[in-house]
Amino acid sequence: MLQKREKVLHLRTFQGRTVRIVREHYLRPSVPCNSPLCPQPARCRNDGKLLSSDVTHYVIPDWKVVQDYLEILEFPELKGIIFMQTACQAVQHQRGRRQYNKLRNLLKDARHDCILFANEFQQYSYLPRERGESMEKWQTRSIYNAAVWYYHHCQDRMPIVMVTEDEEAIQQYGSETEGVFVISFKGILNVNKHRAQIEAFVRLQGASSKDSDLISDILVHGMKARNRSIHGDVVVVELLPKNEWKGRTAALCENENDDKTPGESPSEPMPTGRVVGILQKNWRDYVVTFPSKEEVQSQGKNAQKILVTPWDYRIPKIRISTQQAEALQDFRVVVRIDSWESTSVYPNGHFVRVLGRIRDLEGEISTILVENSISVAPFSEAQMCEMPVNTPENPWKVNPEEERERIDLRKTHLVFSIDPKGCEDVDDALSVRTLSNGNLELGVHIADVTHFVMTNSYTDIEARTRATTYYLADRRYDMLPSILSADLCSLLGGVDRYAVSVLWELDKKSFEIKKVWYGRTIIQSAYKLYYEAAQDLLDGNFSVIGDIPEFKEMDEKSRQAKQDELVWAIGKLTDIARHVRAKRDSCGALELEGVEVRVQLDDKKNIHDLIPKQPLEVHETVAECMILANHWVAKKIWENFPHQALLRQHPPPHQEFFSELRECAKAKGFSMDTRSNKTLADSLDRANDPRDPLVNRILRSMATQAMSNALYFSTGSCAEDEFHHYGLALDKYTHFTSPIRRYSDIVVHRLLMAAISKDNKTEIKENLFSSKDLEELCRHINNRNRAAQHAQKQSTELFQCMYFKDKDPETEDRCIADGVIYSIRTNGVLVFIPRFGIKGAAYLKNKDGLVISCYQDGCSEWKPGSLQRFQNKITSTTAGGESITFSLFDHVTVRISVQASRCHADTIRLEIISNKPYKISETELSQQNSLLMKNELVKEVTRSVEEAQLAQEEAKVKIIQEEYQEYCQTKGTSLYTLLEEIRDLALLDLSSDYGM
Amino acid sequence: MAGLELLSDQGYRVDGRRAGELRKIQARMGVFAQADGSAYIEQGNTKALAVVYGPHEMRGSRSRALPDRALVNCQYSMATFSTGERKRRPHGDRKACEMGLQLRQTFEAAILTQLYPRSQIDIYVQVLQADGGNYAACVNAATLAVLDAGIPMRDFVCACSAGFVDGTALADLSHVEEAAGGPQLALALLPASGQLALLEMDARLHEDHLQQVLEAASQAARDVHALLDRVVRQHVREAALLLGD
Repeated sequence: MLQKREKVLHLRTFQGRTVRIVREHYLRPSVPCNSPLCPQPARCRNDGKLLSSDVTHYVIPDWKVVQDYLEILEFPELKGIIFMQTACQAVQHQRGRRQYNKLRNLLKDARHDCILFANEFQQYSYLPRERGESMEKWQTRSIYNAAVWYYHHCQDRMPIVMVTEDEEAIQQYGSETEGVFVISFKGILNVNKHRAQIEAFVRLQGASSKDSDLISDILVHGMKARNRSIHGDVVVVELLPKNEWKGRTAALCENENDDKTPGESPSEPMPTGRVVGILQKNWRDYVVTFPSKEEVQSQGKNAQKILVTPWDYRIPKIRISTQQAEALQDFRVVVRIDSWESTSVYPNGHFVRVLGRIRDLEGEISTILVENSISVAPFSEAQMCEMPVNTPENPWKVNPEEERERIDLRKTHLVFSIDPKGCEDVDDALSVRTLSNGNLELGVHIADVTHFVMTNSYTDIEARTRATTYYLADRRYDMLPSILSADLCSLLGGVDRYAVSVLWELDKKSFEIKKVWYGRTIIQSAYKLYYEAAQDLLDGNFSVIGDIPEFKEMDEKSRQAKQDELVWAIGKLTDIARHVRAKRDSCGALELEGVEVRVQLDDKKNIHDLIPKQPLEVHETVAECMILANHWVAKKIWENFPHQALLRQHPPPHQEFFSELRECAKAKGFSMDTRSNKTLADSLDRANDPRDPLVNRILRSMATQAMSNALYFSTGSCAEDEFHHYGLALDKYTHFTSPIRRYSDIVVHRLLMAAISKDNKTEIKENLFSSKDLEELCRHINNRNRAAQHAQKQSTELFQCMYFKDKDPETEDRCIADGVIYSIRTNGVLVFIPRFGIKGAAYLKNKDGLVISCYQDGCSEWKPGSLQRFQNKITSTTAGGESITFSLFDHVTVRISVQASRCHADTIRLEIISNKPYKISETELSQQNSLLMKNELVKEVTRSVEEAQLAQEEAKVKIIQEEYQEYCQTKGTSLYTLLEEIRDLALLDLSSDYGM
Repeated sequence: MAGLELLSDQGYRVDGRRAGELRKIQARMGVFAQADGSAYIEQGNTKALAVVYGPHEMRGSRSRALPDRALVNCQYSMATFSTGERKRRPHGDRKACEMGLQLRQTFEAAILTQLYPRSQIDIYVQVLQADGGNYAACVNAATLAVLDAGIPMRDFVCACSAGFVDGTALADLSHVEEAAGGPQLALALLPASGQLALLEMDARLHEDHLQQVLEAASQAARDVHALLDRVVRQHVREAALLLGD
């Protein structure tokens, strides 16, 4: 007999009113279960297709899984699937008719081993939705309940697996009923760059509750086990039995171009699996190269179908059909993958567009951009229309209305900015003054970008998509149109600008923070200083005064007064910064010199190294002020919006990643205490070899590499004790100080503004992101930042290669340099060349199996022999019995050459030509010292070195330049100007560092 | 959102019934003491109240009196709260008039009017909650009320609606199914003789399918009859008990 229930729905009519609708709902004691195990088939009235009886378990997908991964469930290999009616209805209501019809056809298809169970019309498996229960929760609950009923209905004879994506459901139901398993099992495929053909790793996202002992990555060995998945796909893996597990390879190999595997373990078997399904494809645009003529002929028979080689080693060759293969031979081309048949070794794709010629600078740069999915089209007209106007005829003025609402600091405060020379986008300025009560007032003023960029305006959306300004080695792609980034938002000297300020009142003696004020202001920066000038003023060297444009027009007397005022301010600022830092230290915090700075430094070290830079105290002063501002803003927005503030965290690193660092340090006789950030910093400070300053630098960069990257996150998404910033040792941190260059800062500005309006009890104008949206946004920004870093690194490598490409390694003097061994592999060593900041592999055993041997005078030769690897050294023994040992931190002489590659990026090749350190000229020695000492004399010397170097480079560049012009290879810009720009950027980088 | 699926591949309707199944029917007779006859019926969520006065002398203008039979006067109304949106429904609006007329036709065919010449029988029906099949619920309620009043009839008049979706006839449409806009057929049946007291359909339906839909509706009406018959017997049994032999 039917049972009548009622369902109450609240629907919204077209007029926007809510109507309460009561619908009847009839339940019956039995609905067809369509299982061969059914104890009472007559009662269930099973007609139509039944589940097959030879399955080991039934699978019940959760509604979300049915919605999102229906394609997978469509595979005929999958048997014994029970679709719950609840899940089908979710598809019908939320995914539209097409998807639903697919599901219906699937259910109708007699070949598919799947059935529908009408759980909602079944008296025992129906659960009414409870008051206040969300639709999603109810659906999951219903499906689980029906699964349990079904399990008991089949007299517990068939285990049931419910597949869900909902972590909570797994938690809640995972172990509730025996025989009914709730799982989710997937990870992201990560193809090893170096051994693309063989190895891939899958990182687990959420292990099932019953397999939690599996923490490490899973190795997927070979192309076949990879089952047509491509780097970055979300895949489902099946673990192989333990006796089939394999280890990873530790040897260097041919297309090695980067070392990314800290703590390589020597081939001990690790969990190995094979891919059984792809949940989410991560196909993007790929840059490929057509095979050269000879290769085309060898591919022969099917001339229309051509295998092209992607630029990225990790991507398999792609088969495309085109008639233009010959015409496109010399170009980098974008293709898209369309499909990958199960019978095919390669995926099929189609041609999209041409990027540029191979080895042409523009072509290669756009290759890097496409490969990192960076799209930097010029700003559109609609976006430019939103921009304020500032032309000589129609200059931009301060709006009187704004003037009323903002605090005017133009008359009262001496505001100035310190930036690298030639910097255009000044987004921060500083001020300091004595208050009437004798206390000090420190101010950090940040460009008010959010005043110009409204939420969800075209510019805002574009900036959100870009998320950051992209700095490549020779150029940059701005996040905001230049009218904002270089003009109206840039806190230039002598003009009125809107700002968001943080003002602290400090005690005159102890520099204790008494009060803090946040708000919108109007400022006028009095001086736009650059670091060197500020440092000179601080040191009492006034010869730079003439360089500062603001002083030029003044007469002698007022200049003196102004100068004294400025020098006092800079001095005071430095005092405060020192105290703030000392206090951070005394609070148990540490001086890690900003870990993130280091990361960025490492990324572009080569540029820095081409022109050695000077660490000045002013750098630290400015950085400290910015950190202070970021920290206080983080606190403020977190207090006001505990669940939707955007902060930045730096999780503490895993101890096991430090093992390589500890090994290396031990080899040199230092001990590394990596238990906490403080002990680590202390031991890094101690690990200083007076004879070789490079040791410390390498150790530091290794420490950096062991750490994970700092990330943005939404405070709603994780617990408060995870907010910690390991590198800076602050409990809360965010990015506030560079809204021109980073979208995260714009979000933080909006949050701060909302917090201020909350304090003033005024209406919050900004519409803030909910925690969930913010989380999504953070993921996007983090992702873009990573892309920006990769692009920067790749472009730097590109320039390195271009630099060395035209030099003959045999004859050219500059191609021979001093290198330090920083890691040992089974068939070679990894070498760091401080002169150019290059890291790379040098083989001790070549392809023919010959090993290296060195004579007394240091010359080396290839001879037959064998290699023996130890913990921190490697010995090469020739057949003749001579042997030579390379240990960690040994200095060797290497020859740098470029290994050209047609389809991929060129790589730097290193070759050890002597086991003795390269004889360093005197000037270069002093350069290295300059990194450590900060006295006037060294500064003078380095400047002359710089100039000498520049002159040298210029001479070289000129030759290249001539050649370029002769062959018309570069369009517009010559390499000389490019290198000049690199030089500028090298200085510019520092400014981007302190913001962290 | 995809359109509502009125009949799933497994043969379930939106509310879980199969094609030929009726909604739950509950009925009571003799709900008012003042009236000569009264009844209340629930068909699913459709609820209707019917009251019968008469046969009595003509009220109002005597000229309307019929010389050979009784005049059946029907009035239909819907409560303001009967639908999802509250709405005032004045007396004598077109819809109510039409429905009144239909009821009148139905009952003129069923009541033995020639037994009461020059008199009048009043049937008042009110829908308290409308959830599809209003006409059918009214007819069924009125039948019970007329029986309660003790007015001789040829037979029960049992009504039911039927629709047609995807080649299948659905019996006893609910509001959701009616609102979907398919053809809808209302049928009032005298079950014993199988005569039709009223047949009404106001949408296009291919002639080939008519028989099928008609069949479904009459089957449903016969099912209703079985239920109503039980209600009447139950009522009479109770009344007899009260009277005490």
